[in-house]
Amino acid sequence: MDLEVDGVLVAAHELKAPLAVMRQLALAFEGAGSEDEHIRSEMLNVSERAIRQVNDLTKIRRLEDGLFEMEPVAVREVCDAVTQELRRLFECQNRELEVNYSNRARLVTANRDLLYSVVYNFLINAMHYAKSGSRAELAVQDSKGKVKVTVRDYGPSLPIDVWREIKKGWVEKPLSVAMRSGSSGLGLFIASKFSRYMNAKVGAVRHRDGTSFYVELLASQQARLF
Amino acid sequence: MIFVIDDDEIMARCIAKAVGERAHIFTNAIEAMGAIAGGDIPRLIFLDVLLDGPDGFTFLNEMCSYMDTAQIPVVLVSSLDLRQEELSGYGVVGVLLKEEMKPEDIKRYVEQYT
Repeated sequence: MDLEVDGVLVAAHELKAPLAVMRQLALAFEGAGSEDEHIRSEMLNVSERAIRQVNDLTKIRRLEDGLFEMEPVAVREVCDAVTQELRRLFECQNRELEVNYSNRARLVTANRDLLYSVVYNFLINAMHYAKSGSRAELAVQDSKGKVKVTVRDYGPSLPIDVWREIKKGWVEKPLSVAMRSGSSGLGLFIASKFSRYMNAKVGAVRHRDGTSFYVELLASQQARLF
Repeated sequence: MIFVIDDDEIMARCIAKAVGERAHIFTNAIEAMGAIAGGDIPRLIFLDVLLDGPDGFTFLNEMCSYMDTAQIPVVLVSSLDLRQEELSGYGVVGVLLKEEMKPEDIKRYVEQYT
């Protein structure tokens, strides 16, 4: 693993403890009746998002050990769980979240936790770039023996050099400089690493009024359960 | 009496707040073991694993080796990916992940084991 990236991952592990403390502090004041309840709530949300990102980063170190089991995963169920977690956050930020399922292949070969993180990171990215009052769209569709999960945002279009990098199917390290303004590219890096582990392909489509990020997962050949 | 053992004092206080007035905070295993040796036998212990000095597993081993403490229920509170089933032989009745636990989770153990 790239030494620079490895250093980031070690640092991420060290951040777990203080973030967990911040979250506990926010929880400790729950129901205190303060007029600053919204601040406490925001502190809780921010710390939980940061913990998720740190956990994702620490998972990257464990990918090399092959500890994440691949199994048939119900892709819609995962997307439902992510959207349920994020819907309130979208509302608070005055963004809409649209979901559209058209896939006939319901199961994909994946690791549920990793797939959850991929979709989560795509949606957080889309929320970040969507203008207030606009929307992000999550779509799941069939794609030649695969299942494609796409998140479309209505923010600035992706720079062409980043698009070329993503065209390879994965991202080796966060593309902070070339990425869109205000982004570290960390979410895409995490999504790319997890997707590669799952033999899935990450891609991006440039639009005049935004960007779509997608992951193409192998449809599971296991007997359909749905 | 319920012991809360965590080398992060703020985290320990957060756990103690959920436990209530019966909570006794220790920031290292040696002090907790000293209190037990002095006759303060807790009804339940919330134990961090990665402690300064002797770690949580050393503490568990010590507890298990004495008749008067071997049966005390212990809840591990950690950021490590631990399995309660694998640790039940040490008196571990539950594992709480620091990043995900809520005060209600702590209260549930207190109600169940005290």
